[in-house]
Amino acid sequence: MTPCPGRSARGEVDNDRSHPAARRKGPAPCPLAALPVHAVANAETEMGVKVLIVEDNPVARGFLSRVVRDSFSDISSITEAGDLDGARRLLGHRSGQRAQAGGAQDDGYKLILVDLELPDGSGLELLSELAHYPATRIVTTLYSDDEHLFPALQRGADGYLLKEDRFEVLVEELQKIVRGQPPLSPAIARRLLSHFRNGHSDGSGPVSGFGPSDFGTSRPAPLDTRRDAAPDHERLTPRESEVLTYLSKGFTIKEIANLMGIKWFTVNDHIKSIYKKLNVSSRAEAAVLASKQGLV
Amino acid sequence: MTHTAQPGTTTAGPRHAARPDPGEARAAGPGDEALNDPTSAPASAEPSQRERADGRLPAPPGLPGAREAPVAPAELWPGPLDEDLRPPRWIGWRLRLLVLAVLGGCFGLYFLALGVSREPHVDARWRPTPDGQVQLSASSHPALQPHVGHTLEWLGGGQVFTWPADPVALRGSSRWIADDDARARHAQALAWRDQALREDGGLPAAVELGFEQSYPVHVELAPGRITALPGLFWLLAALALALFLGSAVVLLSGPGWLSLAYAAAALAQCGNLVFMAIDVATGIRTANGWVRWDWPARAAFDLITAAALVQVAAMHPRRLAGGPAWAVGAWVLALGLAGWNAQAVRPHAWWLVQGATIVLGGVALLLVSWSNRRQPHPYALVLRRFGAVAWVTWVMLTAAVAATGARPDLQFNLATVGAMVWYAFLGSLLLLVPFLSRSQQLLREFSLLAATSTAATLLDLLFVAVFSLGQFTSLTLALFAALGAYLWGRQWLLSHLRSSQRLTMEALFERLYRIARELETRPQRSGQLLTRLLRELFEPLEIWTLRQGVDAARPVAGGSALVVPLPQLTGQDEAQQPPAVLLRHAGKGQRLFTMEDARLTDRILDQLRRAVAFDRAVEQGRSEERLRIAQDLHDDIGARLLTLMYQAPDRQMEDYIRYTLQDLKTLTRGLAAQSHRFTDAAAEWKADLAHRLAAARCELVWTLHHDDDPELGMVAWSALTRVLRELVSNAIAHAQAKHVRVDIRLHQGRLELTVSDDGRGGDPQAWTHGLGLGGVRKRVKQLGGTVEWRPQTPRGVICRVVVPRLTGAEPGGEPQGSATRRA
Repeated sequence: MTPCPGRSARGEVDNDRSHPAARRKGPAPCPLAALPVHAVANAETEMGVKVLIVEDNPVARGFLSRVVRDSFSDISSITEAGDLDGARRLLGHRSGQRAQAGGAQDDGYKLILVDLELPDGSGLELLSELAHYPATRIVTTLYSDDEHLFPALQRGADGYLLKEDRFEVLVEELQKIVRGQPPLSPAIARRLLSHFRNGHSDGSGPVSGFGPSDFGTSRPAPLDTRRDAAPDHERLTPRESEVLTYLSKGFTIKEIANLMGIKWFTVNDHIKSIYKKLNVSSRAEAAVLASKQGLV
Repeated sequence: MTHTAQPGTTTAGPRHAARPDPGEARAAGPGDEALNDPTSAPASAEPSQRERADGRLPAPPGLPGAREAPVAPAELWPGPLDEDLRPPRWIGWRLRLLVLAVLGGCFGLYFLALGVSREPHVDARWRPTPDGQVQLSASSHPALQPHVGHTLEWLGGGQVFTWPADPVALRGSSRWIADDDARARHAQALAWRDQALREDGGLPAAVELGFEQSYPVHVELAPGRITALPGLFWLLAALALALFLGSAVVLLSGPGWLSLAYAAAALAQCGNLVFMAIDVATGIRTANGWVRWDWPARAAFDLITAAALVQVAAMHPRRLAGGPAWAVGAWVLALGLAGWNAQAVRPHAWWLVQGATIVLGGVALLLVSWSNRRQPHPYALVLRRFGAVAWVTWVMLTAAVAATGARPDLQFNLATVGAMVWYAFLGSLLLLVPFLSRSQQLLREFSLLAATSTAATLLDLLFVAVFSLGQFTSLTLALFAALGAYLWGRQWLLSHLRSSQRLTMEALFERLYRIARELETRPQRSGQLLTRLLRELFEPLEIWTLRQGVDAARPVAGGSALVVPLPQLTGQDEAQQPPAVLLRHAGKGQRLFTMEDARLTDRILDQLRRAVAFDRAVEQGRSEERLRIAQDLHDDIGARLLTLMYQAPDRQMEDYIRYTLQDLKTLTRGLAAQSHRFTDAAAEWKADLAHRLAAARCELVWTLHHDDDPELGMVAWSALTRVLRELVSNAIAHAQAKHVRVDIRLHQGRLELTVSDDGRGGDPQAWTHGLGLGGVRKRVKQLGGTVEWRPQTPRGVICRVVVPRLTGAEPGGEPQGSATRRA
């Protein structure tokens, strides 16, 4: 049970508690707009926050809506899209183009949940197109292996939710992501380590799953073909490497904090920083890849 | 969540990558001690040391850093190999001279045949009888046919002077007459015969033959035609021509003292063969003066051959320290004796000549042996082997001729047939030796056959002479003995030449497919694996890598080395793999590489390429199929299960579907992935369990000890994942534990896994969930392990899973070539 930072009380927007999801006891909802990620972007907190959910399965869409509503107190509206095209229409861009924030500041979505497997393509495409869109982008998927998730993180996803998790677990995870405590599984930590160690020539990581990109070939296609040395801002600090190494061995954040003799939120800061570095190093590549590979 | 994980034990486990791999290290180095031992190959080791200092060569296997570049199977060949790799160029004056030599040889042969066929002769064959008379053995002449089997008493031409038939005169050549008296008689008889047939300086139109108890037979002499020459003449003449051309080729391709010596020997034998051809083509014929030179010339030919062989032995394959002295001595002895012999008819000349040739031949053999002892070389071994066969038969021939002095009929056979076979044998040897790598097989069979037939002839005559056996008996005995000797010798040679260490065909096939399998898992090792295969196949003393590639395997440097192109089997490491390797001194220096070896290598590499391609295609098909199934399962069934889970009426059903979904995910992931490292899998188990237990407000106490980090195959990974998940699920759902303790120990391949909780305990059989405890039992049994549940004090249940050999039966384990190599 983690209290929301910033606000201790329940948020204003707490409608729809009569929904069947309400029977599940989840963590208390907290206002999304006040969370650190959007602290700068959002001055008009009272307006509420717009959320976009891209998910083809209507049941899952409803479920995720409930998760979102339960997680945050200041949701003004939740828009749902069943496929990539629908999402693009809502965001106002075409396939392959960059999505830009709308004219008015309050017009844009502040939270976007993207399913990876959509009827007319992969959610990875949308993530690439949303590279410069000022919103928290979260991947919702059934795939928990790094083969699927790592490309999503590379394309700028701020975190991922596993759709099979329990309602309350999802709520907690969603809040954590928005708060800046993204999940990092050991497999992904390994991928990150090799990604940063090998000068971003990732793709030779352990084959531990199947992915849409390598379907039809016997070995995974390299995601990143750049081989030149990474600039400094894309290299990990020794502390970050240490955190990643512990994560790759399955340690929890608290255990890592104990092992390293630091506070758990410092560990979390490191993880955030790693995410950021991955995004910085990947954003340009993601754009290139999106246009190069077209449909991934 | 309590921190109880022990980082020391988790991280202190030896990483697999750092573990020395004996197979890799073995293949990475040149392997043979000879390469590392500078004394065994001082000439070739020194330049490589120098080049290594320049940084152009990879570090030697003993130095650090060699393991980081394991693709280089051996050191780089330091010497310039270009001239060895290129066939000699026939351009310019060499080609013109060779064409001239070919034309000259052909014309010479033609004129020789023409001249010999013009010689008028009586179409009859004669043989000496044991009591020293001449008998007509066969004839196609109508007037002579009634007299077949009769004894010839005299021969007369147009003049009154007749020639009493003497068996010694049946021989055209006096080369194989041991006795001085017989030699004089031979010369006298030939002179008489010459006179008898000569008519006013010309040739008579007819001769008269006087057989015992019969009227003289009148036979007209007709000049023969070139087509009527006997086949044996053509055979001998062709061999002589081939020898002539062979010596020309050797001389022109690389002029030097060595090729000069070879040319001298070959040309001398060519002369011998020409003399024999003439001898065969003419029967009783006029002595046109060359008879005077027959004996000195042929003695000189043999002496020159022997001296030339001494020189060759002193210079090839290694230049011996006292080589020039030996060569000069041999030449002085041979030429002096030949000159001395040519001036006049000398007493005991035959004995001296035979003795000198035997001594010189023996010296040549000793020199070759000495050279081989100082520095082994397959060429020296081959030379010694064939030289010994020729030398021994020569000694036998000499002994046989000497022993049969009292029997003119035996000596006649010996001198014609036995000597002819021996000379043909030596001529063929000389012809084939420069092209040993291409002709070794042929040469081996041929030398065996020739040596055996020589021995058979000699034995036949010896039986007749010494044991006074009948002709038929002795022939049969000799044939049997010779056949036995041939079979035994062939067996011995074959088993000896192919050293017993060589791979049998079965082992070879097994090795090929093993390599194909191994390449599947470690494609970067193709260079090493190929080099290892080649080493096992040919057992060379040295293996070097080459900078330039070749199209196909081929022997170079006269068969002492073999260049083998390394095919790109995996298509991954083009830049790292050397394009070709050079094998030197096959069979631990006992053998020469032959063309058959090169073709065998090509075929093996081709087969390997095919096997790898086939494997890859099969594996790709399988993995595509697995991926497709996994994808379908995951996407379709997974999505439906998810929908079902969201709409589940109660918590229990929802959890049930969730576990089913997780099982499905494990299954599909197992289908798609190849293998997992043990520590990676453990990390994921821990993260997964921690996540789930945290959601259930339950503490995880996790310890992991391992002394190794093996690859878990899909079966083991999937089974352990599900067993762990199931046990922990039980602890949460049924025992309602607050603490779950998971303890995993991997020690020498034995996995011990305990999951204990502080829940309600009770009868574990009562727990039913998902696949339930039956599922746990099934999976543990699948791994060949055992599982047991015990109640714990004060509360809770402990479950202990023991898998004695976690990685024992896993595919993708380490195939160790060295372990199976001895088998």
